[in-house]
Amino acid sequence: MKLTSEEVNEIALESRLLLTEEELAGAVRYINRFLDALQCFKELDLKDVEPFSFAEAIECPLREDKVIPFPDTEAILHESEHVDGSYFKVPRIMEE
Amino acid sequence: MELYELNLWMLTEGLKAGKFSASEVFTSCKNRIDKCEGNIHALITRTDNEMPAFSKDGTLAGIPTIIKDNLCTKGLRTTAASKILGDWRPPYDATAWARLKDSGAVLMGKANMDEFAMGNTCGNSAFGPTHNPNDITRVPGGSSGGSAAAVSAGYVPFSLGSDTGGSIRQPASYCGVYGFKPTYGMVSRYGLISYGSSLDQIGPFARTIRDLQIVMSVISGHDKMDSSSFRNKPHDFTHNENASIKGKRIAVVKEFAGFTLDAPIADAMKRTLKILEDEGAIITEVSLPVVSKYAVACYYALAMSEAHTNLERYDGVRLGYTVKDARGIKEMFERVRSEGFGAEVKARIIAGTCLTEPTRCEEYYVAATKVRTLIAQEFSRAFGETDYILQPVTPSMPGKIGESDDDAMKGYEADLYTLPVNLAGLPGLSFFTGYAGNLPVGLQLIGARWSDSEILDAGMILERHFGSPKISDGGVN
Amino acid sequence: MAELTFTPVIGIEIHIRLKSDSKLFCSCSTDTDAPANTNICPVCMGMPGSLPVLNHRVVEQGMLAGFALNCGIRPKSLFFRKSYFYPDLPKGHQISQCDLPITTSGYIEVHDSEGKLKKIRVHHLHLEEDVGSLHHSASDGRLEGADTSYVDYNRSGTPLAEIVSEPDVSSAREAVEYVMTLRRRVIYSGASDVELEKGMMRFDANVSMKCSDGRWGHKVEVKNMNSFKALERAIEYEIKRQKKIMLQGGEVIQETRHWNDAKGITSSSRVKENYRKFIVEPDLPPLYISQEWIDRVAARMPEMPDVRASRYVTDWNLPQEVADLITDDRNLADYFESCVKAGANPVRAAHWVRTEVLRVMNEKGLKISDFTMKPETLAGLVERVDGGKLSTTQGKEVFDYMCANNSGIDEAVKALGITEGGVAGNALADIVASVIAANPDVLDEIKSGKDKKGKKLKFLQGLVMKETKGQAKPQEVAEAIAEAVK
Repeated sequence: MKLTSEEVNEIALESRLLLTEEELAGAVRYINRFLDALQCFKELDLKDVEPFSFAEAIECPLREDKVIPFPDTEAILHESEHVDGSYFKVPRIMEE
Repeated sequence: MELYELNLWMLTEGLKAGKFSASEVFTSCKNRIDKCEGNIHALITRTDNEMPAFSKDGTLAGIPTIIKDNLCTKGLRTTAASKILGDWRPPYDATAWARLKDSGAVLMGKANMDEFAMGNTCGNSAFGPTHNPNDITRVPGGSSGGSAAAVSAGYVPFSLGSDTGGSIRQPASYCGVYGFKPTYGMVSRYGLISYGSSLDQIGPFARTIRDLQIVMSVISGHDKMDSSSFRNKPHDFTHNENASIKGKRIAVVKEFAGFTLDAPIADAMKRTLKILEDEGAIITEVSLPVVSKYAVACYYALAMSEAHTNLERYDGVRLGYTVKDARGIKEMFERVRSEGFGAEVKARIIAGTCLTEPTRCEEYYVAATKVRTLIAQEFSRAFGETDYILQPVTPSMPGKIGESDDDAMKGYEADLYTLPVNLAGLPGLSFFTGYAGNLPVGLQLIGARWSDSEILDAGMILERHFGSPKISDGGVN
Repeated sequence: MAELTFTPVIGIEIHIRLKSDSKLFCSCSTDTDAPANTNICPVCMGMPGSLPVLNHRVVEQGMLAGFALNCGIRPKSLFFRKSYFYPDLPKGHQISQCDLPITTSGYIEVHDSEGKLKKIRVHHLHLEEDVGSLHHSASDGRLEGADTSYVDYNRSGTPLAEIVSEPDVSSAREAVEYVMTLRRRVIYSGASDVELEKGMMRFDANVSMKCSDGRWGHKVEVKNMNSFKALERAIEYEIKRQKKIMLQGGEVIQETRHWNDAKGITSSSRVKENYRKFIVEPDLPPLYISQEWIDRVAARMPEMPDVRASRYVTDWNLPQEVADLITDDRNLADYFESCVKAGANPVRAAHWVRTEVLRVMNEKGLKISDFTMKPETLAGLVERVDGGKLSTTQGKEVFDYMCANNSGIDEAVKALGITEGGVAGNALADIVASVIAANPDVLDEIKSGKDKKGKKLKFLQGLVMKETKGQAKPQEVAEAIAEAVK
């Protein structure tokens, strides 16, 4: 089933992307072509196949609970144009 | 012979013997960059204004290098070739770069790439395309095109790139250098700006196998900052002149036999098999039915699913490109992301979001993770039957810059020979076999997980027959 | 027509901050009271290229909290990426174990409306990272109406346990008992301090109504409750609201509503909640927990408060309400048990802890851990009072003196001029003699027989009692005086 441009636009907005008409048309073509290509999965019997997680057994490594402060938090703040004092200032969060 | 023409191992020996100084090497490379960069545009940021201090007693003391611009460099602009990162200067170094630096390497610049490593032409960069130094009308390949071009043109003896679905091996082949994609987990990804985290791996470009071995010995090994980096795995890359492939099994993939290849590539396959046979290897065949038919779809489904979540962090609040006059947070996010990301990246974000929507997740994302299991199992079986697999890197020679296909999936299908390696977390070497006219022809050797050093040994034997690639003219003769 | 009855069907989601020094995936401090944006690093700021590394202790805290809820531990759990855009969420997704959590199911017991014990099933507990904190520019500090907000990422990446119940809760009161019992047990386990005033426990409730006519209303998710009271009020409000809609024949819409504590109402959240299937976190391999590790952590689990209280009742004859009161706070119960261990009678010790210790703690705003009197000291005091060496009044004076001066018993007794066991015998005779010697005229009057009504004798008795600071028995004083004036 092909996705309509409304559906694709909805997905784009969910990803916080505003598309021009041209971009949207391209995206619709792209997605539908892509979903077509993925139909091939249906040819495979995947019922009893485990989803892949890592190429071989590896355990999640664990870190000791020890505080090591990052040496240069100033450099982090310096990279934002929204820093106000020691905070990051952002515009209105609630939608009208 | 100019110093910039020397290979890495020659430079380290010459420097150690005092035949020339690090600053002479630096100047020679800098002059070479000055001469070629206008034609090639391999770099996003140059850092070769003056010779920096470097660690004098490391393996790479005084050796110039270039790294892909998706590797974080402390205090130095890192862009991933995207407008959205703006002039971001990371407050930390990527582990791979930190290891190079600690062993004395001197950074000459940050290499151009496809935006967020999404592409195979290096034409999808916010900073404009890189040109193939063998023929500047052609693409250098991607996404690590700048890193490959820089080594090919003699900017530096080695560089670093990253490979998610072929992004090291394909440009290495197009530019006529060696490119190595290590086993997933061999090189720390800490500080590598993620594309598809379960597929990404950092690796080197160089003009000899021995040089690749030197670089691998520096960058490989466990890193506690990367939970996917393996402990206690073999990573001895000592160069062994006497390595042999006598009695080793080398397979071609049965299902690939029917696929069309450009003549020089098909020819190179034949010649390489002959050489390997002459060296005493046993030529065989393996069957990879799932890989040949489903790997491309599986790869793109997973890469995009992971990519869209990796790219959610770019919202303009903490770093990079932003807008200051938005009236609401949603507007701010939308404008930052719409203005900051390029077209290909947006397309992949939307695709990734679409595949992981609750209504489609089972059908696409989860199915793809299962197909990936089948692919990994298939390779695992194959490597019970053979020691190496020989296959093309790409089916065709590098195309002209600006030639684009309207159907993105066709471009993706060109990655069939490289991306299965990432799906199974295998090591893969793109090696040089000679020239067809002025264009180099590369092929690929892959092996089981952790067979990295054996692959490089085999590559060295092939290098003996094919010769090392020449430095390309870089568009300036 | 029979009157319609409604049964609320309530499920509760709780977020609890787990106790650790460093964050879940990086080595930054978890001190959220630090100056804004000082406990931050590339990882908890979601910087490009940064990668998470899991905190060993938080895994154990998750296990302990799970044990406290009668949950089992899964040998393999996974982390996922839960996506949404919000300025306090640096990566645009939260790393969470939502789909394959560290624990299996469990339960918490509460009392139903008839006072019978009932189990509220816990679906699971999972680990996840917290987001940054937002401060709003609106005059009342609230989100609504704020033109700008300020983000502090100190909290970003601090470890949380999310606890999801089955919809087994039937009233606001049960909900409160569930979260209070759960909180107490989690504190006991040592997994968290759950300091409410520091926002270490936050609640969401899923409320729907089942009607006796067979209708079942849609589920409404109520968010933004940060206290027991708020949880109770929000659920009560929501039950009333939904009942009213259903009584009028309307349909409750499935939605997310926010609790407004100031107005005491829930209101429809205007922000659309985008539910997204979670992808596996590719940067973290599966978390494997061996049986040996589970056993090791399980061995650290203390006795749970309800079990402990029952033991006090059975073994030591404490009244249930006293046992409940003392076991409410693990440290207080530990203190009490130390007293008993040091030799104090359990019932008497419980009385002292309940009345005096708690009184001083309340007056001074202390926690039991800040209470300086050693349990052995209190045990000694209890013994002396029980043994009659000190009267109850004296005991309390000594207790207060020890609290105020951080002293031992003997020092307090001396400073207060107390004679243990009271003033009697020769000591009493000496005091009587000196009192009489100081009042020769009174003695004369008594001896002359003028003190017919015994007023003067009473007067002398009073003086003696005063001299002994009330430590002599009146009968003995009267006898000693009678003897002295013969």
